[in-house]
Amino acid sequence: MGTDLAPGDRVRTRATDPAGHTRLPRYARGAVGVLVERAGRHPLADDRARGVPAEPQPVWHVRFAAADLFGAGDHTVTVELWQEYLTRVEEDA
Amino acid sequence: MSRINDVGGMAGFPAVLEEPDEPPFHADWEAHVFALNGALIKRGVYNLDEFRDAQERLPVEQYLAASYYERWFAAITTLLREKGVATAAELHGH
Amino acid sequence: MSGEHGSSVISARVRHVEALLEARGLLDDGEIDTRIDEFLAGGSPANGARIVARAWADPGFAERLLADANTAIREVGLSMAGGLQEQRLKVVANTAAEHNVVVCTLCSCYPIALLGPSPSWYKSEAYRSRVVRDPRGVLAEFGLDLPADTRIAVWDASAESRYLVLPRRPAGTGSSSETELAALVTRKGLIGTAAV
Repeated sequence: MGTDLAPGDRVRTRATDPAGHTRLPRYARGAVGVLVERAGRHPLADDRARGVPAEPQPVWHVRFAAADLFGAGDHTVTVELWQEYLTRVEEDA
Repeated sequence: MSRINDVGGMAGFPAVLEEPDEPPFHADWEAHVFALNGALIKRGVYNLDEFRDAQERLPVEQYLAASYYERWFAAITTLLREKGVATAAELHGH
Repeated sequence: MSGEHGSSVISARVRHVEALLEARGLLDDGEIDTRIDEFLAGGSPANGARIVARAWADPGFAERLLADANTAIREVGLSMAGGLQEQRLKVVANTAAEHNVVVCTLCSCYPIALLGPSPSWYKSEAYRSRVVRDPRGVLAEFGLDLPADTRIAVWDASAESRYLVLPRRPAGTGSSSETELAALVTRKGLIGTAAV
């Protein structure tokens, strides 16, 4: 699940359409971005919204190229995402 | 499921409208709703994530027709009902 | 629902629910008014402006602000700890090469301790939907036309962090006092929809 994530890593966000509350915006689902920095640790919002106790986990600032999100644009969008939403993309050798 | 609040990148919305010298609240009841939410979260009746979730679960037509603080109030009454604090009838004043 | 009739209907409903909660011991008498007063007296864009002015005047402070804003802002008597939960503050600096703009696409998260109550435009579907896809166009609507070679970095406040833009110091302010510098900073500048 990417317990060894580090700034600079490329990650892909979860592609699933979840049943309940989540803080992964639809426009960033299944997208590849770069980890900018760790932004603290917090219990998963998805669990807290269901009244389920949740242990804090790392949250990351993840930077996406607009072209990768929307197919157009020269800007970047940085989103703060719980580690559980992320999987490291293994680079090809 | 993809919810109505998740609008990043969604097409169809108009130009951004700025209200000059906008007051923090447009009516007293809005300020009351704002404060009520803080008080209930502080007391642990529900948490902030449950509050956001309750707004997102409002029927889409109601959500889009409602103003910002109308959505807040609808979410608050939803949670008061779901948490067993009061019945729908009691909340409506019957 | 809009107009006076709608407003009086919901106003009555809110009063009714408050009375019900007071009767059930979930709300103290006067608690609502106290909360409203504290909120309105607390956060304001003047707070954010003070942070920016200090950062412009003191490069060491600016460095500390960019590295750990929660700690740095205590140097000017400010804190992110006053609300429902302490929020992590991230300060993002505009440069000649890059302009930052902040949004919360999922709801309307906003650093109210430093900026006061958020404006309706920030909370609107129009802003939240469009600024992530076409920030250049949205900024142009606000009257901010950035050079084509200025990169735009959009920050979506999707978790616990709250964001403050550190605008570029305007030219010709080399001998301004911190108070004069702070007076130049607008709420829109701190969100990123104005240059300063």
